[in-house]
Amino acid sequence: MASHNTTNITGQDILVCIFQRGAADGLNAVVPYTDAEYYNKRPGIAVAQPGASNGAIDLDGSYGFHPALEPLKPIYDAGELALVHATGVPHGSRSHFSAQGLVERGVTNNNGPNSGWLGRHLALTSAPATTAFRIVSISGNVPVTLTGATEPIAIDDIGSFGFDQGIIDSGYPDILTNLYRSPIPFSGTAQTALAAVDELATANPGAIMPDNGAVYPTGTLGNKLKQAGQLIKSALDVEVICIDSDGWDHHENLPNFIQQSLGELANSLSAFHTDMGNRMQNITIMVHTEFGRRVAQNASLGVDHGTASLAYVIGGNVNGGQVFSQWPGLHDQDLEMNEDLKITTDLRNVLGELLMQRLGGTDINTVFPGLSYTPVGVFT
Amino acid sequence: MNRNENELIGLLNSLHSRRDFLKLFARGLGYSALAGSLPGCGGGGGSSSQTTAQIPAPSAEYSALKRTSFGVHHDELEIIQSIGIDTYLEQQLDYQNIDDGDLYTTIQNLFPLAFQSPAQLYSGFPDNISAIYRDMIAATQYRQIFSKRQLYEIMVEFWSDHFNIHLLNGLGPTLKPADDLQVIRAHALGNFRDLLHASASSPSMLFYLDNFFNQAAAPNENYARELMELHTLGVDGGYTETDVKEVARCFTGWSIRFPNDPGGNFGEFVYIPVVHDDGEKAVLGNTITAGGGQSDAIRVVDLLASHPSTAQYIATRLCRRFISDQPAQASIDAVATAFTDSNGEIRDTLRALFASDEFQNSADQKLIRPSEYLAATIRSLAPHTSYPTDNGALFAAAQSILGQLPYNWPTPDGYPDIQSYWSSTGGLLNRWRLSFLSYAGIIPGLDVFQIDYAGMLNGANTLASILDALTAAILMRTIADADRDHLLQWLTGETGQADDAPLATATIDQLAPLIAAVLNSSAYFQLR
Repeated sequence: MASHNTTNITGQDILVCIFQRGAADGLNAVVPYTDAEYYNKRPGIAVAQPGASNGAIDLDGSYGFHPALEPLKPIYDAGELALVHATGVPHGSRSHFSAQGLVERGVTNNNGPNSGWLGRHLALTSAPATTAFRIVSISGNVPVTLTGATEPIAIDDIGSFGFDQGIIDSGYPDILTNLYRSPIPFSGTAQTALAAVDELATANPGAIMPDNGAVYPTGTLGNKLKQAGQLIKSALDVEVICIDSDGWDHHENLPNFIQQSLGELANSLSAFHTDMGNRMQNITIMVHTEFGRRVAQNASLGVDHGTASLAYVIGGNVNGGQVFSQWPGLHDQDLEMNEDLKITTDLRNVLGELLMQRLGGTDINTVFPGLSYTPVGVFT
Repeated sequence: MNRNENELIGLLNSLHSRRDFLKLFARGLGYSALAGSLPGCGGGGGSSSQTTAQIPAPSAEYSALKRTSFGVHHDELEIIQSIGIDTYLEQQLDYQNIDDGDLYTTIQNLFPLAFQSPAQLYSGFPDNISAIYRDMIAATQYRQIFSKRQLYEIMVEFWSDHFNIHLLNGLGPTLKPADDLQVIRAHALGNFRDLLHASASSPSMLFYLDNFFNQAAAPNENYARELMELHTLGVDGGYTETDVKEVARCFTGWSIRFPNDPGGNFGEFVYIPVVHDDGEKAVLGNTITAGGGQSDAIRVVDLLASHPSTAQYIATRLCRRFISDQPAQASIDAVATAFTDSNGEIRDTLRALFASDEFQNSADQKLIRPSEYLAATIRSLAPHTSYPTDNGALFAAAQSILGQLPYNWPTPDGYPDIQSYWSSTGGLLNRWRLSFLSYAGIIPGLDVFQIDYAGMLNGANTLASILDALTAAILMRTIADADRDHLLQWLTGETGQADDAPLATATIDQLAPLIAAVLNSSAYFQLR
């Protein structure tokens, strides 16, 4: 298989999927500043209206960015960033651990399949394994989202993945290849790891510099997106990259913590977008979380676990520059269990549309069993 | 990520980075000179991971040790073979009567911050964050590696995950050491109800899960939810969102003394009546009458400790730890029954588990976790080493690379006990790289513990006899003929020597650590 640097092997988009772990608040990220109830229920933590000091950055006359998301505004204005508000998977769980599992599996209850939604899609569309780097998790482990796919690779640092030449010359990788032959436990993973070591040594993506003057912020997310960029620009035929963004569980002092979290998110995404340049025509970035947070602030100037939140979709083939939302309202009677933002857009419809429009199509019934698929119009 | 954590990990990595020591290995030993690719090696088709054992089963004694210790130690294998599995496990359950020599005084002398009170630690805070973290990690790793009370240390790790607290979290560094001593270590093989009460009033936990914010006028549900979801009932244990809110109300006013509190020392538990919600509550169908004050939450803890869902949940987690990721329901039920019948006595609960057919008659069902891998590497390669001369810096660096540094899991669910989490490509690769700790003693910077290859080889001087001697010493179990053939084929190919030809001492000195690394990387070592 010839290597090529701008598109992946199937000619469809490369997907970069970012999971915000800890239940990211949507209401203080993309602020419904024309809804008076937002200010009534968050008197101590709300983002002020556009024009006010430290106010929101207007997007469309109804919604505004938290000031920390300013680096994303040019991407929004260029039509390459769409926001989906009041979205989520209607699973009804307020447990981080259950909800992450359900969202990653793409199901609403535990009766659904145990594999991940993206893993099921990738299993359906399995291309011949030309590379160990087809499906990559930039972390020490494979997220549930990818389970069901054939041997995703987990790599937390591409710069230090592999063996020293002395080890390779000793025959150590070769004897391990034999000792982990099928059906020895973990043979598949072991073979993939050994193949990946070879590929990575040849491609050497860690030496690839950011393009177009992109500057990634220091910090975990910036570092992971930088590595995602290096993998995409290398000769490795990457199709899907999953990244975790941690630290969104803001039970206390939301204004302070979300400023940091959104700033890191926006600066990292902006740097990646700049680095990729024209490659963004063949890349989609999806950012989502397990559930949103309570509408009303708590006594610690934080917000407890809620229901609907926000998703960000970035790419050259996104119907961007708009907020997709059927706003449910924030009066008590409008709220889920009288306290949470309601889900009016099932996140699975956005993910389904992503697969149908940008990842070469899929079998929705297999990937999202039980979903009555209704495209949202996020993708061209 | 917390800034101090980054600093510490950066420091540790710079002290003993894996890349550096692999480079040292390459320079120092020059295996390039031995290079020669083995015909027929390489490639090989992938297949899906599976844990059906496809390697010869180890002895029952080996399997019992592997599951109840941080790695099979040659001396302990001899003991268990001599006195029998049941007697050995009974001795382990009676851990206070196991002589641990100078280990505890050594740890106290080397890592004093792991034994200090919140007030003592606060006097040096925040400048001492890295030092506290280092002492806590090292004290934990030293016990796991060197203690003879292995089952006790396994249970300490189990409950540390179960009641997980992220150390690097605000004032957390000053609070967690006391939680470790007075909650986890005090009750690890005691009674679950006592353990749960101790955890519920632990300042470290009340701080970590925000209960110090929890007030009548403004409840915070964080601790209440995790208390039921993670500590007792399990997420499907039958509680509702209303129960979460009601339990949170019961815990209003459970807080800690902050610095400069005239009423007591920093970091002590305090109940604050004025912010307690003293109205009537309903928890899991039980009415908690108004005016109960501090006793509301005590009542909740008792209700949860006795709840049938808690017995099932704890039993499931224990079976998952000691047997496999999918233990039989019969095993879980037997353990849950013992838990209930003994009113939460952890020893009785474990006795039922050890008596289960599944525990006794299965092996190699699960990948060991990184903490076990690191400890097992030392325990098998260097069973009689003296304590490392670097105060644990190398072990901490290794564990940070493997991804299981103690007290560093950020969320309250603790490090995963499911092998799929640990068996990723990157996870396996990191283990393989760490297998080159087998070169300790040869490489400067790694020589902080002593590996006695001459003792393991006991005069063996041919490829076949060296391989057999190291297999016996390090793996302590029989390997498949096919694997022995592969290993010998590799060794003869690398050295150009027949498998029965006597080798020069210099060649043996170079080969032994490499063979040790390969054995240590194999499924024989990685499974329990």
